[in-house]
Amino acid sequence: MSTVGIIVNPNAGKDIRRLVTPATHTSDVTKVGIVRRAIVAATESGAERILLAPDRHRLAERAADGLDAPIQIVDEPITGSRYDTIAAARRFWKEQVGAIVALGGDGTSRDVALGWPDSPLVAVSTGTNNVFPSAIDGTSAGAAAGFVATGAVALDEVGRRSKRILVRIDDADSSVDDVALVDLAFVDTDFIGARAVRDPHTVSRVVAAIATPTSTGLSSIAGRLHPVDRHAPGGVLVEMGAGERSIRVPLAPGSFTTMSIADVRSLADGEEIVFTGRTILAFDGERDRTVGDDGRVAIRIDSGGPILIDVDRTLQLAAERRLFDPPTKTSDHGDVHGH
Amino acid sequence: MNISPEVQFDLHRRMVRIRLFEEAAGRLAEAAKLPGFLHLYVGEEAVAAGVCAALNDDDHITSTHRGHGHLVAKGGDLNRMMAELMGKSTGYCKGKGGSMHISDLSLGMLGANGIVGAGSPIAVGAAFANRYRKKGQVAVAFFGDGATNIGAFHEAANMACALHLPIVFACENNEYGEFTPRDQTMAITDIVDRAAGYGMPGVIVDGMDAIAVHEATLEAVERARAGGGPSLIEAKTYRFYNHHGVQNLGLKYRSDDEVARWKERDPIFTLEDRMIENKVATRQQFDDIWADWRAAIDRAIQFAEESPLPTPDQVLVDVYTTGGAR
Repeated sequence: MSTVGIIVNPNAGKDIRRLVTPATHTSDVTKVGIVRRAIVAATESGAERILLAPDRHRLAERAADGLDAPIQIVDEPITGSRYDTIAAARRFWKEQVGAIVALGGDGTSRDVALGWPDSPLVAVSTGTNNVFPSAIDGTSAGAAAGFVATGAVALDEVGRRSKRILVRIDDADSSVDDVALVDLAFVDTDFIGARAVRDPHTVSRVVAAIATPTSTGLSSIAGRLHPVDRHAPGGVLVEMGAGERSIRVPLAPGSFTTMSIADVRSLADGEEIVFTGRTILAFDGERDRTVGDDGRVAIRIDSGGPILIDVDRTLQLAAERRLFDPPTKTSDHGDVHGH
Repeated sequence: MNISPEVQFDLHRRMVRIRLFEEAAGRLAEAAKLPGFLHLYVGEEAVAAGVCAALNDDDHITSTHRGHGHLVAKGGDLNRMMAELMGKSTGYCKGKGGSMHISDLSLGMLGANGIVGAGSPIAVGAAFANRYRKKGQVAVAFFGDGATNIGAFHEAANMACALHLPIVFACENNEYGEFTPRDQTMAITDIVDRAAGYGMPGVIVDGMDAIAVHEATLEAVERARAGGGPSLIEAKTYRFYNHHGVQNLGLKYRSDDEVARWKERDPIFTLEDRMIENKVATRQQFDDIWADWRAAIDRAIQFAEESPLPTPDQVLVDVYTTGGAR
């Protein structure tokens, strides 16, 4: 059965950065609207089943309300944390979902990747720094996911494997594996606190897998020094500190700061780099893990991330294949409105 | 930014003071030594501490029916607070106001308030005055999630934004309006979603994390002082005790599991653990802090118990003004 899965991160687009920058606030109503549009469009594209991830804000229920579509909200425990996204992605893998539409920022896509590493993904930006996801309407996102899920457009034709930054943290007591999709930063603060990395003086090192001049957030540092396309192998390592060069970067949307650069170098695909000692690691822009004095952080970039679906290409192929034509010339295919 | 060890200890001490004051008040209420209602702030300490540590003494706050934590965090006199709770003449309101009417203008604390939502317009007034004083003072309105359903909040937020006033709206979203879950009284989950409707930025912070609250408040206060206008901080938090008093009065409107899950994130103990892990503090230092403030609370209780009740001839004193507008 052709299935589209939809995940919406209720927490995306609401953190502290809105106080200090003109970053977008994405309300729940906005998110519900995007999901509704994606449901309608995926159904229009022929998806036989729409699975929605549950969330603490009940955005999935609100989006599904009153729609005439084969919707099912999957039964998963709700924690109100990022683990809801991780669990939903894993569940979608078990349910053999053909394409996921995920609403959030870089961190949300990261959580999808943790739950289902090679998920077929349409990433819709509703977060703060949206390097990995794209600003695309739910209608197009849902339509593309629907065509891929039905096989009318093959995933091989429009999907490309993303890179990921694999991180292993070892200390005397434990060993943890984690993933970032865009950037990993070493932050010299004592606390995770309000999570977002805002103070340039606290950033000592950035590893980026995607670093384009159009990036915002930490990856913009590398993006302005040593751009690395999302599809090029490997990445870049930037060490902050006194050096010959400093650079102006948008550490958050609409907010520029000067960073002093000590060193920049390429990282080859699969090359491992290791750092030791106390730090806080920020994954895709958010402080998330503390590393103790005896900690060891091993990092490498590979191409094992989600299979990112090219929405433009999918819909172009759909048009070429006349997939938007009604089923028969005589059928009464009525208008569908998602409200 | 990194929060200095001095500020970390400051946040910790403010939270410990609140916790000990409130738990003592709870015990006294159960022993029938406190008249009137008692809305305990236990569990939400990170919000009052994180916000008030970002304020100067001459900045203003308005509080709520759950107001002890705000005044303690702003530097309130524990003796006078405890005396007021006991209805003694040495209390902040000479024993005639009780828990929900304490204020201390010398600390910029413009009053607890028994009316839900009523503090925000007062904070707007203070912010309006502060703009004319041009001393860089800001006002902070504390309020709960339920207060945002009240007209007074809407009017306050609208006026603050229309006049671009130096004010921070600090919402303590503890998920329940008295005994009713938030989702039964509003169609949105995040109070911060209301902010854009007034034309101000709004952010969500973990209200169980004093550092996170403090980081956000520093930004909001700096923004207000610099003429950037109002902002809204929504702190997701939880009260460990009942809406009022200590016992649940047999009302199972919250599951034991839910309460236990939030208690695992106790704002004081999580801060202590992290400070010890960071080698900023030792367990012995924390033990000493708790002991010092326990002694201070004991002294406050003794002060209150030994203070006289107001005499009957005081019933009408301070009720009506006699001097006209001043």
